[in-house]
Amino acid sequence: MAGVARGAPLDRVMRPLHRWVWRDADRRLRKLLAFADVETDGGRDILRAAEVTPDPLLRRLYLEHAIDELHHGDLFRDRGAALLRARGPARRVLLNGNPLPGGHGLDDLRIDGQPDHRLLAFLHVAEKAAAGRFAIYRELVDDDPPTRAIFEQILRDEVFHMNYTYTQLTRISPETYRRHVWHARATRLWNRYLRVAAAVAGLMGHTVLAAMYFVLLPPFAWLARRAERREPIGWVPIARTRSTSPRSQY
Amino acid sequence: MKILGISAHYHDSAAALIVDGVPVCAVQEERLSRRKHDAGFPLNAIEWCLERARLEPSDLDAVVFYERSMLKFERILTTALRAFPRSWRSFPHAIKNTLGEKVWVRGIIASHLGVPRDRILFTDHHAAHAAAAFLTAPTHRAAILTADGVGEWATLTVGQGERHADGRTNITLRREIRFPHSLGLLYSTFTAYLGFKVNEDEYKVMGLAAYGRPTMLEQIRRVIRRLPDGAFALVPEYFAFHTTADCSYSSKFVDLFGPPRDPYDPIDLDSPEGRRYADCAASVQRVLDEILVDIAARLRRETGLPDLCLGGGVALNGIANASILARSGFERVFVPPAPGDAGCALGAALYADRIYFDNRDQEVPDHPFWGPAVDGAELARAAQEDGQHVDQPDEAALIDRIADDLAGGRVVGWMEGACEFGPRALGHRSILTAPHGSEMRDRLNRDVKRREEFRPFAPVVAAEHADRFFELPRGGARLARYMSGVFPVRAEWRARLAAVTHVDGSARVQVLERTMAPRLHALLEAYGRRSGIPVLLNTSFNVAGEPIVTRALEGYMTFRRCGIDVLVAGSTIVNKRAASSAPSFKESGAWSSNNVAASTVG
Repeated sequence: MAGVARGAPLDRVMRPLHRWVWRDADRRLRKLLAFADVETDGGRDILRAAEVTPDPLLRRLYLEHAIDELHHGDLFRDRGAALLRARGPARRVLLNGNPLPGGHGLDDLRIDGQPDHRLLAFLHVAEKAAAGRFAIYRELVDDDPPTRAIFEQILRDEVFHMNYTYTQLTRISPETYRRHVWHARATRLWNRYLRVAAAVAGLMGHTVLAAMYFVLLPPFAWLARRAERREPIGWVPIARTRSTSPRSQY
Repeated sequence: MKILGISAHYHDSAAALIVDGVPVCAVQEERLSRRKHDAGFPLNAIEWCLERARLEPSDLDAVVFYERSMLKFERILTTALRAFPRSWRSFPHAIKNTLGEKVWVRGIIASHLGVPRDRILFTDHHAAHAAAAFLTAPTHRAAILTADGVGEWATLTVGQGERHADGRTNITLRREIRFPHSLGLLYSTFTAYLGFKVNEDEYKVMGLAAYGRPTMLEQIRRVIRRLPDGAFALVPEYFAFHTTADCSYSSKFVDLFGPPRDPYDPIDLDSPEGRRYADCAASVQRVLDEILVDIAARLRRETGLPDLCLGGGVALNGIANASILARSGFERVFVPPAPGDAGCALGAALYADRIYFDNRDQEVPDHPFWGPAVDGAELARAAQEDGQHVDQPDEAALIDRIADDLAGGRVVGWMEGACEFGPRALGHRSILTAPHGSEMRDRLNRDVKRREEFRPFAPVVAAEHADRFFELPRGGARLARYMSGVFPVRAEWRARLAAVTHVDGSARVQVLERTMAPRLHALLEAYGRRSGIPVLLNTSFNVAGEPIVTRALEGYMTFRRCGIDVLVAGSTIVNKRAASSAPSFKESGAWSSNNVAASTVG
């Protein structure tokens, strides 16, 4: 628990950033609402794991885990909603932006068809990382006892999640469990890289398209608007001559 | 001929397979992927359909997609151009979204299934809706009305269908109303304004409407104008869905109706704000009813036909459907069990079979059960492994025991046979309870479904007794076959059917004929013998935010984590063990003989 309480080295380095996020009431509640969705989605994924695993013991453990995660989602959502209500009229603007990134859902992990050892290793690594980060968050919300209490409760659950995933991993893969854990760590790192790369590529694509929009589209926009003025409003007869070719996408 | 129909990429992806003109199976992707409203390419659904029919993709004569994707792209591009420069933020998003995947449907299907490209066909979106509504209905000639958010360009179409004695079939859609003028988008805009999720929570607006009074009709009529030809037009200044993907309504809309509801604010119907939201919902519902009834009445006069087939997502609005039946002059109104986009998979396949290939008409079985079947043995195995009490009595004993449980106030998870195609649980994947007390409704909302208090539950009644409890107009029982209409509960029964009677005295009743679900019918009869009322509360077997369960294990997992007392799958009954004072499985540490401290790992 000691290692978890300190958080991962990267999170410790980023502590000033975390402090900046949690210090502000708007950012805090956006973070809480984002966590709510992440935890709920993660809970549903683990529930799916419970449905598909052939191992009866794992089924019970995944179910307990999923119930915890879904409960965490409710806790975050209720707390976020309470903070939102307390904020008054300014909150409308607040939700116009996307929530800040964060949380520890199951990313894009596909549950169906995954062997249990891979999922257990992934869950163990993810839960450990999340617990470390939540331990930091708990310290940063000292001024907000209800939110701190939520992190306290979640941290207790995370210890169970870390323990059972590791213990079960050693049970079902006694020879190779360490390799699976390292593989899960590498996969997480790779997925993070992919997410960043996709975000950068998305931004570049967005910029190019926005530039095209302003440079190339104005004459076509003028034509489109001119055509729109000629269009009748109301019923439009469906011409029998309209393409009815089954092979046409037009 | 073997024809696979596919709907995908917007919401509620699905696949359906017909062989020699008759549906063999159909399933929504969400039921297999377990992601609610899954919009991805329905690979799981396709694989299941092919496996169910023991076919390889190469055996298929055609694969039919439910819309013309390039025509849709044209609409998206044209809309962005018309909104220039206000569309500058949504344009890159829309283009990436569409060009990234959606327009390459032919290639996607060909690469996933390995079928030759010339076997991949397309239908108009509303033609698929029309086929899903008309070709599955037990009628030979009917008027057709389809309405949804938007397809390629059309948002509402009218026409008629005919099945000739010589086996030929015609579906003629005569005219359409085009984007952005859309009843579906009007309703969705209010769904967003009232803080609900677009394309998912429209039925919550319908539920909320019963709590309000239509006090905002004048404002609603300022955002949607009626036209002399009977059509309608949205007034663009009040809407933003055609200029941005972020919000469907404009600041002018907010000026007219007041501040929108925050999605995280609970609706307090005792507060002025809560009543305003309810009034708003009641007003838009009233206007939707009026317009649909008027369009349907004109269609009735034009065609002279007594039957109407309704399709498209708007046909999920049971209040509007009942109004059409009552006031448009049609004697029978048919709504398929999956009138929305998922149903287009079946509609597209049927359309190709009857219209493109000109195959002879075939009667389509009149039931909604086209999905994967439940396996009681799977439930028995899992429950025994968990130490639950499992029983497998004979059929008569099972019905008696479950009827006793229901009469004793227990909540029953009921899984039987093939799952339903469409959003409604119609007796094969249902949660059933006694319908009498409002405390049961509150208990279900709180402990089982975990959803908003204002939402009503639906009853199921044996067809023989439906008129005794519900005020069904002529044709009402047919509309209620797939829970497609909202009808009044007879005043004298409202107190004894409190759990299923909405605040306005109505219920979205399912009228069950023995032939459609004989087992549930037998249960209704058995329950009727005990309580004197052969009516049960029937709600979908899922928790809020999750798809309806498909397999026995999914039902079992839902049973384990919510307040369902008894679970039935096939001939297997599982009774939930009473909670003991012993430590929980998690706390006991029974899961581990070697409780390793996680911080030491690695």
